[in-house]
Amino acid sequence: MKSFVVNVMAVIRRELRVIRQRPVYMIASVGVLAFCIVFFMTFLKDRQPYDLPVGVVDSDRSSLSRNFIRQIEATKIGKTVSFSTYAEARHALQTGRVTAFFVIPEHFYDDVLSYRQPTLAFYVNTVYFIGGSLSYKELLTLANLSSGAVQRELLRAKGMSDTEIMGQIQPIVIDSHQIGNPTMDYKAFLLNALLPGILEAIVILVTVYALGSELKYGTSRHLLEKAGGSMSAALLGKLIPYTALFVLLGLTCDFILYGRTGFPMAGSVLNMCVGTVALILASEAVAVFIIGTLPVLRLAISIAALYSTLGFSMAGFSLPVEAMPPYIRGLSAVFPVRHYYLMYVQEAFFAGGFGGWYMQLAYMLLFLFLPATVYGRLRKAYENLNFPRN
Amino acid sequence: MDDVRLISKSEMSHIFSDSGVLVIFFLAGLLYPVLYGLIYRNDSVENMPVAVVDGSCSAESRDFLRAVDATRELSVSYSCTDMAEAEMLMRQRKVNGIVMIPQDFADRLAAKEQTAVSIYADMSSFLYYKNLTMGVNMVMLDRMHKIQASRFSAAGFSARQTEQLVQPVKYEANVPYNRNFSYSLFFLSAVLLIIIQQTMFYGISMLTGTMREENRSFSVLPDGLQGHGISRTVLGRGAAYWLLYIGIGIYVAVIVPRMIGMPHNCPFGEIFILLLFYVTACVGFSFTFSTFIRHRETVIVIFLMMSPICLFLTGFSWPQSSFPVFWRLFSYIFPSTFAVRAFINMNTAGASLAMCSDEFLALAVQTAVYYALSCLAAYLENRRTAVSRG
Repeated sequence: MKSFVVNVMAVIRRELRVIRQRPVYMIASVGVLAFCIVFFMTFLKDRQPYDLPVGVVDSDRSSLSRNFIRQIEATKIGKTVSFSTYAEARHALQTGRVTAFFVIPEHFYDDVLSYRQPTLAFYVNTVYFIGGSLSYKELLTLANLSSGAVQRELLRAKGMSDTEIMGQIQPIVIDSHQIGNPTMDYKAFLLNALLPGILEAIVILVTVYALGSELKYGTSRHLLEKAGGSMSAALLGKLIPYTALFVLLGLTCDFILYGRTGFPMAGSVLNMCVGTVALILASEAVAVFIIGTLPVLRLAISIAALYSTLGFSMAGFSLPVEAMPPYIRGLSAVFPVRHYYLMYVQEAFFAGGFGGWYMQLAYMLLFLFLPATVYGRLRKAYENLNFPRN
Repeated sequence: MDDVRLISKSEMSHIFSDSGVLVIFFLAGLLYPVLYGLIYRNDSVENMPVAVVDGSCSAESRDFLRAVDATRELSVSYSCTDMAEAEMLMRQRKVNGIVMIPQDFADRLAAKEQTAVSIYADMSSFLYYKNLTMGVNMVMLDRMHKIQASRFSAAGFSARQTEQLVQPVKYEANVPYNRNFSYSLFFLSAVLLIIIQQTMFYGISMLTGTMREENRSFSVLPDGLQGHGISRTVLGRGAAYWLLYIGIGIYVAVIVPRMIGMPHNCPFGEIFILLLFYVTACVGFSFTFSTFIRHRETVIVIFLMMSPICLFLTGFSWPQSSFPVFWRLFSYIFPSTFAVRAFINMNTAGASLAMCSDEFLALAVQTAVYYALSCLAAYLENRRTAVSRG
């Protein structure tokens, strides 16, 4: 037992030397994560898109149509761009320069005054989904409010009080609550799902690279020698320094998300840290499995890349997993980040605590059995170096 | 010309003798588009389960909830007696939204006062929020018109007058390019072309890295040229990837959309012209940036996370008009920024080639700049190897 610890320590020292000598390890972990955090934090700094360009074709040019344009300007979401013809506005919509436009018909004011019910038409490009959905909702509300405004003038003239008027022009209002993200913060929504995905990818790639390099550069026998011939000591000693690094990075992420940036967190940050550690361990297990199955670095790294990219979609934060076809749905279970995401929703939205997410934690820990299935194969590859190196 | 053909042939043989590169080019390039097509096959979440809490238990509230159940977006799967029960269902993720009708709902309507319906959306996906607000808002607007109409007719107005009073301004909502708010159309339009640029960059960099590792230069000039022919070397190597990727490009941008039932509102010829510009710019881009790669596997370990970043830089999700200036300039580095925009506008929104001239111009400028840079890189590389040899 004592010699085992000595062997592990020897491997750890060797690994720390490797990390010092080859900058790729620090760049691929600390550097990549830092860049991604800086990118998404600054890219989405507004938290919600403001001032989306909304086109206006005002063929009426009356005080009423100008008033309508001012109302769009007054919403957080839109700023208007005017076009003189429908064709020009459609052109801008098709090329993504505006997300929506509306057309105020000729004689709009006259028709309203004489109850001829003129039609406001609006067009929304929802291929640009976020901007499109937001402007659609906003323009729909405005179109309805404009009817309300005309009614209000009429009812006021009849001598109704303002509360009575509101009961008439908008009898039912919707009081909307957003569970887990009360301010509709797009940045919080995206980063809470993306950062764990990025972390998973970094852990898998760096671990596969670290284990595979021994094969590629033919240094695995030296490694086993250092470990006193024990594969377990070699594997453990190699993984411990990276695990420490990843955990440090993961906890930094948690601190940035819930501490510094103050993203909504109904439960406890400490519980999220437990989840982060589980995510890291599970991802390392997946990495060992990949390099153990395919002990050729160039192939293993390509497969690892394909796998971790899919993780982003399969976590189910963009399109919910239940909306995927049944034969794809089950596949989401093989990505640790999927379980982490479900756990995050339980903790951050509902403060579910251990009772809420223990199954997700268990699923993530189940991944830890994966390395056992390829342990023998990887040991043989390390001993014999019998796989193509290039 | 013969030199170009010779160099291009030898490059081809490099590509096809490297399993790691083949995985990236063919497994990723050919399989990913189909896989994404399958994952995002269903357009949207329909009949999302919601819980209702009917505090009013009146004819009016039952009528409102029946209408909610009848919307395309929502399906009432649980009727709860109080909020605690509904919250529990949401926490167990059996429902993704709650609709709560207050106790005084019917009384207030009868008294012609305003009443509020509360909705609670699970914010773990933007789609849940969109479904709940859209579904309930549609019902609310419909009831609003009915209530107003019944009150006006009770006050003795004729049917015609009532209609004019309830809706003095009509509106017409047009959602031309993505009528169903399809999530897959939005996501796939952007991701397909990203796959072309990213797989090409990873593959070319892996080959450059291999040659560097084997102490060969990536741009050895054929001996017969006696130090001339930098551009012939670049052209020759480029031609190999170019031919390969025009093939992959047609598959990704033309065949895959037809396979997975995406709309294609643009003739084949125009998409082909887009591919000509895009693939050429991508080759230049990959040649330029691959010169910084010293070891073959490091490119994936370090640059894999550039893929999601490139995706966001196209402005497909977070709107372009909300980009911070620095990242807007940064996005000009990547051919994908312009090609994805052109593809979305042409293939989905049916814009013509001329309407996307800005994007084409940008791709042409990128091609020129990156061609010059890759020639420069090849020149410097040759001088360095010549010095070290001599």
